[in-house]
Amino acid sequence: MRGTPTVLITVSPEVSNQMRPPRAIYPNGFKIGNSLGKPNMIDLQRQVLIDALTLLTQNTRPGSYKTIEYPQYGEFHEPPTVKKI
Amino acid sequence: MAFSRKCVPFTPFDMDLSKATIAIVTAAGVHQKDQEAFNIADELGDLTYRLMGEDVESSNLMVTHHHYEHEDADSDINVVFPIDRLRELQADGFIGGIARKHIGYMGYTMRLKDMYEQTAVQIANEIDKGSRADAVILTGG
Repeated sequence: MRGTPTVLITVSPEVSNQMRPPRAIYPNGFKIGNSLGKPNMIDLQRQVLIDALTLLTQNTRPGSYKTIEYPQYGEFHEPPTVKKI
Repeated sequence: MAFSRKCVPFTPFDMDLSKATIAIVTAAGVHQKDQEAFNIADELGDLTYRLMGEDVESSNLMVTHHHYEHEDADSDINVVFPIDRLRELQADGFIGGIARKHIGYMGYTMRLKDMYEQTAVQIANEIDKGSRADAVILTGG
């Protein structure tokens, strides 16, 4: 099995990094449940999707994520952190 | 097939996006309204997944997940399952096509080992066999 390339859109980079996704973008400050933005913000959703897909074509360090700013989102939510046990 | 606990399973992407077929796999609890809902009554979570086809309609989708607020996804599923945006990108020629399979599962589980060693492998095999996906967009809740 060759495997299929993936790209993750994460709103919890510290949490999702525990599973070591090969590639990921983090739309900075998006809340959980808003991976691509808010409802009906079509242009924003489209841009997030384009940015995620474009990451497939770029040289990235496996396991890293790219933080991207989307001011049009209009809010900032602190991402959840991993609880130390 | 076992996954290494240390290395990152990186598969290169070596084609033009304009020719690539894309699938969506989401942990946000998305499924079709006519499919069995995920079992949110089980405190250990639900390890099953739902297959959706090439012709999946955003208006026929819903979320069953009790570990994030999904009101926004209820009003516009594209915030976690961007199938309409993907179709628009296909129409624009930015991507080549929509995969024959898309997958929803409920990312919350207390049975991490089973999720990792069983569900994840099953999902990977679904994509590998018959989806025709060249790449996968992953989303969480």
